[in-house]
Order: sequence, then structure tokens, then C-alpha cells
Amino acid sequence: MNTKQKEIDIANEYVVSPVRMKFDKFIIPTVTIFIGLLLAFFMLFPLWSILTMSFFKGGEFSLINFTLENFQKYFTTSYTLNALWHSLYVSSVTTFIVTVIIFFFAYAMTRTTISGKAFFRNIIMMPLIAPSIVQALALIYLFGRNGLITAHLLHTDWNIYGSTGIIVSEVLYCLPHAFVILYTTLSAVDIRLDEAAESLGATPFKVFTRITLPSAKYGIFSAAALTFNLTITDFGNPVVIGADYNVLATEIYSQVTNLYRFDLGATISIILLVPSLMAFMFNYYISRKTFSMISGAAKPVIPPSRPLKKVLYKTYCSLVSLSIILVFLTVVVGSFVKIWPYDWSLTFQHYHFPSIGGYSAIWTSLWISLIVGIVGAFLTLIAGYVMETRKPYFKQLIYLLSVMPAAIPGLVMGLGYILAFNKPYYIFYGTPWIIVINVVICNFTLGILSSISNLRNIDPSIEEASISLGGDAIRTFFKIILPLSKVAFFQNFTYFFMRSMTTISAVVFLVSATVHLAAIEIIMLDNDGWTASANAMCTSIIVIVMAMLGILQLVQKKMAKRPLEL
Amino acid sequence: MSKKLVLEKVRKTFGHLVAVDDVSLEIIPGEFICFLGPSGCGKTTILRMITGFEQPTSGNIIYDGTIINNIIPQKRDFGIVFQSYALFPNMTVEKNIAFGLNMRKAPQGIIKERVAEILQLLDLSGWETHYPSQLSGGQQQRVALGRALAIKPKVLLLDEPLSALDAKIRLRLRVVIKKLQQDLGITLIYVTHDQEEALSLADRIVIMRNGKFQQIDSPLDIYKRPKTSFVAEFVGTSNFIAGTKNNGYVKFGNLQFMVSNLDEVENEKVYLAIRPENIELIGITISNENCIQSNVIESVAEVINFIGAVVRITFILQREEMVFDLPEKEFEKSGLKRGEKIRLYFPPDAFHIYSELFDKLI
Repeated sequence: MNTKQKEIDIANEYVVSPVRMKFDKFIIPTVTIFIGLLLAFFMLFPLWSILTMSFFKGGEFSLINFTLENFQKYFTTSYTLNALWHSLYVSSVTTFIVTVIIFFFAYAMTRTTISGKAFFRNIIMMPLIAPSIVQALALIYLFGRNGLITAHLLHTDWNIYGSTGIIVSEVLYCLPHAFVILYTTLSAVDIRLDEAAESLGATPFKVFTRITLPSAKYGIFSAAALTFNLTITDFGNPVVIGADYNVLATEIYSQVTNLYRFDLGATISIILLVPSLMAFMFNYYISRKTFSMISGAAKPVIPPSRPLKKVLYKTYCSLVSLSIILVFLTVVVGSFVKIWPYDWSLTFQHYHFPSIGGYSAIWTSLWISLIVGIVGAFLTLIAGYVMETRKPYFKQLIYLLSVMPAAIPGLVMGLGYILAFNKPYYIFYGTPWIIVINVVICNFTLGILSSISNLRNIDPSIEEASISLGGDAIRTFFKIILPLSKVAFFQNFTYFFMRSMTTISAVVFLVSATVHLAAIEIIMLDNDGWTASANAMCTSIIVIVMAMLGILQLVQKKMAKRPLEL
Repeated sequence: MSKKLVLEKVRKTFGHLVAVDDVSLEIIPGEFICFLGPSGCGKTTILRMITGFEQPTSGNIIYDGTIINNIIPQKRDFGIVFQSYALFPNMTVEKNIAFGLNMRKAPQGIIKERVAEILQLLDLSGWETHYPSQLSGGQQQRVALGRALAIKPKVLLLDEPLSALDAKIRLRLRVVIKKLQQDLGITLIYVTHDQEEALSLADRIVIMRNGKFQQIDSPLDIYKRPKTSFVAEFVGTSNFIAGTKNNGYVKFGNLQFMVSNLDEVENEKVYLAIRPENIELIGITISNENCIQSNVIESVAEVINFIGAVVRITFILQREEMVFDLPEKEFEKSGLKRGEKIRLYFPPDAFHIYSELFDKLI
């Protein structure tokens, strides 16, 4: 009797709120449209502004105004034209060097049994925690006009400024990016193929050239394309070490900042966009092939390497690691000694930043990065959830918009932001918020890709279970999807935080008289001759990023211990 | 509490693929109904249309006289148990079970009472504060059942609920589910590819193939009177013989079997099915004088498989491999060995007669 009573209670009295269900119908389309508009307004619109600025007189879009004058001017002025050749030259050379170095490095990590692999893997990733300027700063301290090695140990007049400096610093900067790709490729390709070839009598050299290399070829191409893209779009290293060797990125900057030629800046942006877009698309095409190459049965059981091979590879990896360590060591030590390389007494004086931004730049960078981290991680998770799990209309369009930011050089996007939003009615222009938006949008692609791959690991039945029990999209997201995505959320947070702390090219146009960022201050300090303070600023960023990584590692460890509780 | 659920000419296509092909069915309130078929036959699609995760391309799903095709799953108040359990890993057993009630904003007092009731019903008391990953597979499945039952669903749907469990627990949970359904008097729709499960649980079984219903009947009828050659093959085991009708006999090769209940049309192609347990071993399960001699064949025991209660023996009849079953006791008595000659009897009334043979998917 009692049971009967309750049956009526539950089945009829407590129903899922009809208001919620009505609202639920609109929530997914609304979020989809919001994300679409966000990307359109903060990515397509700035790009469009660059296009109109370069192809139309006065940047005003109409048929009468169409002109190729800017491009004509660019291609007939030998100085600006040289920037293109310079960019292509340094990027090609860098690409070749990085691909070769990293292939053997990744090979050592995946196919040999040398010791200390974890150490090597950590060191190779180090460049990610610093702005892409740390390499140039270090190289100048070591090989510059007053360099420790060139002027004081070798007593030579030769210095590294110019193309050599750009190439070496870009190589050191691109290593981790290329490594991630080749490491994944090489560890996924079935090592038993090599064994099969050996058992059929192939010499180790033949195995390498006929089996290992071909099976990794897509990874090699992909790493090369990425390196090319990173190098040609990088601004920090060439601006510091390039001296009068101009490349496209520095040329855009000087046209806009020194000459106020926004039209030429936009034109060069378009010219930079072409090769970087080609490299990106090539990479996209290649990475699809990579996945089809990876066999599901691949099992990384590495047979012990011969002693000589081990010694050679270990020496090799140590040398590569050493050069990365040397970069960081130089910058950190350089920030603490009185006058590099004459007076080695320790001092904190370089940390009294003499620029306008000074310390406030560090704090601004920190809080902006925290917001970028949270907003970026949250937004990409929601976008991923909506696109992957709820499959709305226009999913393909939103997906396309989401992967586009990775194809657009930060500098181009930054210039686009000036052109698009430098109007009095865009009240966020000139505030830190435009930087937040810019960094989130510029790094949207990787964020959403990792969100999607994480969501694919959640059993779709779990979502259906929630729905069948009366859960609406909002409550399902917050009660189930979000808790289950904690780890991915923190990883994305870290990624956005790191990018925000270290990015230079995207935000160099967006700092203003009132908003200063630590990474940009490095350039300012270096420009004004405060090289040691530039090093100190760089060191501060490195310390903050490492501290954050430490904290997150603790949090993740704690979560790993109690993965279930909120 | 359950009301009548009707499928009316329900059809579902995905692009060119017809997943469910114009099927109709009336499910009686409180009935335990099983959809049984090989994978890809459309049984899960039917379940998903009943739950509301898919909409029929045409036709209607009617509950209690109302067409519910376009009612969202949240509003159907149907309980679903998923193959993968789909428990919320971030919630305790208690929270999992309370989820549906929380979504309905039921008062905490009622929720507490109901959760306790469910825990007791499913023998989960004491496990409230555990997380799903701390439970065994069988316990997880019981939590999934409890979670679905907590809202007092109008219909309970289970999608291959036991397929991820090992054999012993599967048997135990089968009893739990059957008892629960009988006690609660709830309509239960159960999807499985495991014929044993369907035969032992269901009031009625719906055999599906290629999106169509092959037969809707009680387990006994399904087994004893399979309506199509597919059902004969899919449920249990059948030996098939292709021949032509000839005056009460079916001719095949140089043999002809007398077959009961043959219709009159002569020289028509016909397919006979006979279950392994219906073939008799002469001298052991039947004596020679009781046999109609046309239905006696001679062969050799090619393979002997000991299965448990029965022994399955493979023999060759006119180049076709066939099997017959011998109760383990009879087998021991016979002392039969591999390669020995056997004489088998095919009783005329043991055949099922079909005019066509399903295209075998081997």
C-alpha cells in the first residue's frame, strides 16, 4: 500500500521542469551561434580589415577603390622585397636543420634504449615556457659583438647578428614543436616492421632507409611544415637578433610602428599569409595521412640497442639538450650579473625595470594569463561539447572557423585587430580585454582540438543516460561533462596560460600606453639598450610559467589520487 | 503502472540504409519483451526510437494512446539501462541513483527514501558512498538498473545489459531482472543478441533480421515452431536439407525422407530443418524396428564434442556437414568413438518445412 502511494507521487508529481525543457531547445543553437559569431567577429572581421586595407585605397571597400598599388610598391622597393627573400631563406634553412636534428632526437627517444630519456624529453620541451625571444637574447650574450664566446674567449670580430642569428635562434625555438610531431609518429609506427626486415636479412642501414624513414615520412613532412610556419611568422627572435636583416614579420612591425604605413603593413601581412597558409594547409593534409599510417597493433617494445649506437645517440641528445640548457642558463645568469661578461658579481639591479611598464607589466601579464587560461579552457570545452556531442547544424562551418586561427600568423591577427577595432565605439580597444580576446582566439585551434579528443573518450551513453533521466544540456554539462573533463580542462588552462605569458607577435600591436605586457617589455627594454633587464624580464616570465606548471602538476597529482571527487 | 506501447509501421532509414523496415507491434502493459537478432538487425535502433534518441522516418510510436514520436527523451519518463552501464563516474552510487529525482527537483526527503528503497531492492545497501569504479561489474549493472528504476519509469528499456559481464554473474542478474520485472509489473523491453537470455527471460520474443520482424512469439513457440528458416537457424541449431517434394516424401540426391504435413504441390523445391536433438541414434535412443526405413541413413561420426549435458556429434550427409545431439548418459552407454559407423533416424514429424532458405551470412 505504502509503495503504491509513492508510485503516484514520483511518476506524476515530479516532472522535469517544462520551462527548462523549452529553454533546452534553444541553448545549443544559441551557444553554437555565439561561438560562430565570436570567431567571425574576432577573427574573420580583422582578417577582412587587412584585406581591404591592402587591396583598397584608404582601406575603404568599393570597386572604384580597388588597387594593387600597395603590392606594386612592395615588389618594386628592393628593401621591402628583400624581406620576403630573407624570410623564405631563413625559414627554409631552419626547417631543414630542425627536421634533421629532431628526427634523430626523436629516433633516439623512441627506437633506442639509451638512459635518461625522461630528462631529454623534458629539456627538449623547455623552449615552450619562454617567449620566442629568449634564444636571441642568449645568443647575443654568447656570440654578439660583446659575446662571451666570440669577443672574450675567441677574440674574434665575427658576431651572430643577422641571418645566422635568426636561423640559430629559430632552430632552438622550434625544436619542441617539431619534436612532439616526430615523437608521436615514430612511437606509433610499428617497430616490428623493422624487426621483420632484419629477420629477412636487411642490414641496419637498409632497415633505416627502406623501412624507418619511409614509415615516418608524413611525420617528417608535417614537422617540417610546422617549423617553416613557426619560423616565418616569428617576430621576437628576428627583431632582437636580426639587426638590419629584415624579414616579413619585422617589416610589418616597422611599417606600422615606425612609419605609420598601415596599408603597407597590411600588404606585407597578406604576403606573409600566403606562405604560412600554404605550410599550414600542407601540414593539415599531411597530418590526416599520418593517422592512417598508424597501425592499431603498434606496440613499442624496443629491442636493446648496440653499445656504440647507445653512446653515439646519448652524446647527440646531450649536445642538443645542452644547447637548450645553455640558452636558459645564459639568460638567467645574465639577469643576475652586474655587467655581462665583464663583471660577474651578482646583483638584483636589473630587476628594477627601467621601462614604463616595469613591474606592473608582469602583474598585468599574470592576471591576463589567468583569465585567458580560464576563459580559453572553458570556451574550448563548451565549443567542443556543443560540436562533438550535440552535433548542431553548421557544425562543419564552426569547425572550420575553429581551426583557422592556427593558420593565421599572430602578427597578422594583431594588425587586423588594430585595423578592425581602433574605433571609439569598440570600448574594449586599448584595454587588457582585447588582449584576452586576441590570445584566446589565436590559440583557439589547439584548445578545441584537445577538448574534442577528450570528449571523444567519454562514453556517449553517459550523456544519453543523463538525458533519459531528465537531464537538460546545461545540467548535463555542469554535473557530468565538466567533472569528467577536469584533467583536459587543466591541460587546456595550462596551454592557454603559457601561450598568454609568452606570446609576443599576436599582442605586440595591442599593448598601449596604459596596458603593458611582460613579453613585450622584453623587446622594449632590449630596444632601449637595457639588455640585462630584458633578460631579467624574460627570467621573470620563465619563473612564473614554471611556478604555474608546478602548481598544476600538484593539482593533477591530487586529482589522480582522488579522480572521482569534485 | 505501465500502459500499452505500440509500434505502428515504424520505419527508420539512415541515408540509403534501411535500419528498421515498417514494423508493427503491440506491447501489452507489464509484458517482458525481448528483441533478439544478430548485430545490425535494427534492434538497437528500435530501442533508441522508443527512448526518443532517434525519430522514426515514418510510422508512429504510441504510448497510452498518444503519439510520442517527437517527445524528447527527458519527458518520456522511460528508464534506460545501457550496455556500458553509463554510470556517472564522478558520482557515488547514491548520487547516481538520485540523479533522475534531482533532475525533477523532488524534495530531498522523498529522494532519500526512494534511494534507500532502491538500494534495498537491488541488494546494494552499504555501497551508497562508493564510486562506480570501486564496484564489480555486476554491482555496476545493478546500480544502472536502480538508477533507471528510481524515477518509477513507465517503461524500462535494457540494451544488451548483461553482455559485458562474465557468465556466472550474467545468470544471477538474469534472475534479478526477471524477478524485479514481475514484482513491479512494469513493461520491460530487452534487447539482446544472446538467444539463451531471450529464451529464459521473455514473455514474448521478437526475432529481427535486416530491419524486419521474423517472428513474434513465446519462447517455446519460437524454439519449437520457428516460422522462417532464419529463426530455425538463429535460435538453437538446425540442420538444413534442400530437396524437392514428391508425394509425401522429400527427395534429395539418391535419398528421400518421408515428411509429415507436406502440402500437395509436387516437384516444388523445399527446405527441411531438423534440430540436432531430434535426430535419433539407432540402437541407443531408438530401436530399428520403430523406424520408417526411408528415413534411416548411414554415416560416420566425424567429430565428437562434449558440451556438458549433451554430446554433439558431427557427421556427413550427402557432402553436407550435420550434427546430432546425444544426452551424455546415452553417449556413455553407446561407447561411440570417432570414425565409427553410425545409423541415424530422422523422424517424419521432426522436420520444419520452409519454401525458402535465408541467405546465410557466414
